[in-house]
Amino acid sequence: MTEVLLDGLVAVPFVFALLTRLLGRRESLAVGVAVAGGLATFAWSVAAVAASSSVLDAGVVDHPWIARLGVRWHLGLDGISSPLVLMTTLVVALCLVSLVRHDPGCGGRVELAALLLVIEAGVLGSFTALDLVLFFVFFEVALIPMWFVISGWGDPGDRAGALRAATRFLVFTVLGSALMLVGFLVVRSETGTSDIVVLAASYRPGGTAGVTAAVLVALGLAVKTPVWPLHVWLPDAHSKAPTVGSVMLAAVLLKLGTYGFVRFWLPLADPAWRLLAPFLAGFAVVGIVYASLACLAQTDLKRLIAYSSVGHMGFVVLAVTTFTTGGVQAAVYASVAHGLITGLLFFLAGAVKDRYGTGDLRELTALYGTVPRLGGLFAFAAMASLGLPGLAGFWGEMLAIRSAVLPAAALPRATYAVLAVLAAVGVILTTAYFLQLVRGMLQGTPVAVQPVNVDVESVELATSEVDPGTSMAGAVRLDVDRAEWLTWTPLALLTLVLGVAPGLLLGPVADAAAAYFGGPR
Amino acid sequence: VTQDIDWLAVSPPLVLALAAVVVLLVDAFAGPPRSRAAALLPASLTVLAVALAAVPAVRLWGAPRETLCIGGRVVEGPVPCSFGVNELTLVFWGVVLFGTAVVALIGTVVVAEGRTPAGEWNFLLLCSASGALTIAASRDLVTLVVALEVVSLPAIAMTGLRRDDPAAAEASVKFFLVSVVSTAVMLMGVSLLYGATGSVFLGSVDASLAGGGGPHRVAVVGGLLTVVGLAFKVAAVPFHMWVPDTYVGAPVAVAAYLSVVSKAAGLVGLVLVLEGGMSALRDTWAPVLAVLAALTMTVGNVQALRQRHAVRLLAWSSVAQAGYILVPLGTGTVSGVGASMGYLAVYALVNLGAFAAAAVVGTRYPGQQLSDYRGLAREEPGVGWPMAFALLALAGLPPGVVGLLAKVVVLDAAAGPVTWLAVVMAVNVAIGVVYYVRWLLLLVQPASEPGASTYDVPNGVAVAVGMTTTAGVLFSVFPGWLLDPVLSVLG
Repeated sequence: MTEVLLDGLVAVPFVFALLTRLLGRRESLAVGVAVAGGLATFAWSVAAVAASSSVLDAGVVDHPWIARLGVRWHLGLDGISSPLVLMTTLVVALCLVSLVRHDPGCGGRVELAALLLVIEAGVLGSFTALDLVLFFVFFEVALIPMWFVISGWGDPGDRAGALRAATRFLVFTVLGSALMLVGFLVVRSETGTSDIVVLAASYRPGGTAGVTAAVLVALGLAVKTPVWPLHVWLPDAHSKAPTVGSVMLAAVLLKLGTYGFVRFWLPLADPAWRLLAPFLAGFAVVGIVYASLACLAQTDLKRLIAYSSVGHMGFVVLAVTTFTTGGVQAAVYASVAHGLITGLLFFLAGAVKDRYGTGDLRELTALYGTVPRLGGLFAFAAMASLGLPGLAGFWGEMLAIRSAVLPAAALPRATYAVLAVLAAVGVILTTAYFLQLVRGMLQGTPVAVQPVNVDVESVELATSEVDPGTSMAGAVRLDVDRAEWLTWTPLALLTLVLGVAPGLLLGPVADAAAAYFGGPR
Repeated sequence: VTQDIDWLAVSPPLVLALAAVVVLLVDAFAGPPRSRAAALLPASLTVLAVALAAVPAVRLWGAPRETLCIGGRVVEGPVPCSFGVNELTLVFWGVVLFGTAVVALIGTVVVAEGRTPAGEWNFLLLCSASGALTIAASRDLVTLVVALEVVSLPAIAMTGLRRDDPAAAEASVKFFLVSVVSTAVMLMGVSLLYGATGSVFLGSVDASLAGGGGPHRVAVVGGLLTVVGLAFKVAAVPFHMWVPDTYVGAPVAVAAYLSVVSKAAGLVGLVLVLEGGMSALRDTWAPVLAVLAALTMTVGNVQALRQRHAVRLLAWSSVAQAGYILVPLGTGTVSGVGASMGYLAVYALVNLGAFAAAAVVGTRYPGQQLSDYRGLAREEPGVGWPMAFALLALAGLPPGVVGLLAKVVVLDAAAGPVTWLAVVMAVNVAIGVVYYVRWLLLLVQPASEPGASTYDVPNGVAVAVGMTTTAGVLFSVFPGWLLDPVLSVLG
């Protein structure tokens, strides 16, 4: 593990973003550079993770940055952050690859690609930062670019709505991160250090200041994750964003919140406090149930996936609040699985929207009949998301419920048992809405056989714009093309691999958690 | 009684005062400018004077000194002096000198218009700036009040100097009335403090209050009245009512001056009176300042939300920013002063950048509607992107890292001692993002019609934009260069 590898994780995407922007006038070249940047960052992250061990080596990169503020340039990788780093670099690389063949609609591919790389730099910085304030700074780096992505390339049919969604996302996130910062600074004024490794090893939270800090940090991260009822920014932002924006939001940016809970909140909170952890767990479980009920009522594909994210994040937060190694394992596992699966789902939803010109579930039907491969892939992703054993989604939720049954000794066991049961009910509801989705959207008789109503005609019109050559009779639609296979296969494959061999991830996370929190808690 | 004067210490305000006279005379003898280049002469002289004043200021760093002391009849303790230069003074001088230079450059925007006499305007600017330098060095209440008046009176004249402009005249009158009232209130407070402690020297007042001598309540009332008088200058809520109308009526350059230099003068006055003269009453004034800060930022941000006029928005935003600056004082800790000065320095930098860009837009759209900024980043990138940077830094978001870190500095001072205030500020930062980002979006959108946002940018203003943006970007990359020395003020 060398310093260059860690610094490079932040610097490489940033440098490529600059390069992309500078080459802006020659569009195809600039996009090519951006893709190269995404792939280079992915390769770099693989090298960095390969060179690091699952236990944190905190001494590699540790320099003073702003001396008077006590902010240190302190980076590190361990079993907790490595999976998220790899997932991030993979998803960003795939987003960039997808831009090569797919114009987001309003031009400006170059800017979009550059912004994605800047977001990646910020996110990777957050995942590797070991200083509270540094984490906050990186956290903020991704915000304005993401705001641009949503407001600039969002839903072309509803520019005002996209702008409103983008601003709401920004304001909520800034509020959350500012509260989180206040919490961090309270801790620092108590302890005199903002080094999370030191804090995790030796900080014993207590007193009014300690509780205040933990509550503020939890609030801030709860906005970001999001935890019900602070999720209100999410459905709009995710559904109005362009496809790559939704993928980035769901797969990558939400993980800043869950990662923050694991890395930065657990050391600042104490399971012995009677209220904080159970309340947070309670909100998380309400979120699980609420989100699945909301999903049952959705009529828009992207909104449905967005709400399903709220539920999945509920499992992660529930797992974190158990204060156990098993909980940390579940949280990291569910985060990575959600990144892969929901990333894939948003890619597919974007593809559906491109082909049919709508994401309205009342109009979409019979994808199996018209675009069988796309439909099949969608069914696969839906099954993975609802937690089918053998796919990645299963382990995260199973482990989360298991950890809720066996929480840390200081926590009220009966409360957590009830929460575990409710979470399990949420799993059933999740299954219900995904099956409903599969039934309504994928199955059925292809519409082209009965081209009677107005909707169908407009659908055909949309198709003929996409590809006039294949629009004959409106029955044959463009199925998954090669570029799309290239983009989606890695996500589907990893979903399968992690589902079959969860030990790949669980082992390193357990080692890292044991070392980081000073033994199993 | 003869006094020894440390000429090096007093030279910066002296240089500006002398330069003011020179500018006035040169302008009088040169007659009306024959070309546009000649019309830039007064502004050039002002910038030169600022540069000259900066030389001794740099030499004074690291060696605090006092002068204009009472000779002969010392009662006890150290000799009370009227004029002192320490790190706090020098940081503030840096802000004032930078601000004055930038304002002089922004002021050249009105040359083409020919309605503002450039010579007189720059004379007034230099006079006011010399007062601002003096206030930071004043160590007794009388010097402080006089210096504050020297800041205000020329600024009032600058506000109304444009010929045939009733709006400017009205703004000037409004500003004048508020200024007079605040001075009266402050004088009342100062006289009470003097009556209670028997001294006008801040050090002696402090010692007397700490010793518990004199009528305590009178001193508290006197202190509060003094704070109120200064709060008018800082534009803290509820003493802020004059700000929006005055800023909108005044030329943009004067609004920039009021929002940075004049506000900073009030702030440094507060710091001197509170930390230097009433540190014994810390427990009394700290909560007052905390409430004042919370009110100021909340009212400023909420009002800014509904503005459609660019300068009015900047006015309310400057009210909100003043609230952030006051936060560390509300903690009642000495280290808070450094945080306040740090935020002030950053705010001065980026706020001047925003005003400089607004001055450019004002050459074509004197109405200063927000919609006039549409397309600026695309059609006039040399002005649009600096404006975008300034707005992001004011909002405290990367890439305006310097603004982000300034907020971290302030929150760091508040988190712990007065966590509630830090939480209020966190909420306010989120509110502020709404209007800064709304404006930012207009900048990056395509213009309403091609060419609607192209400008013939005046050279002076271009330099001002360049100066502020370069400094902002530089300190975003190397924040330590600015924050390390500033935060070391007062330990």
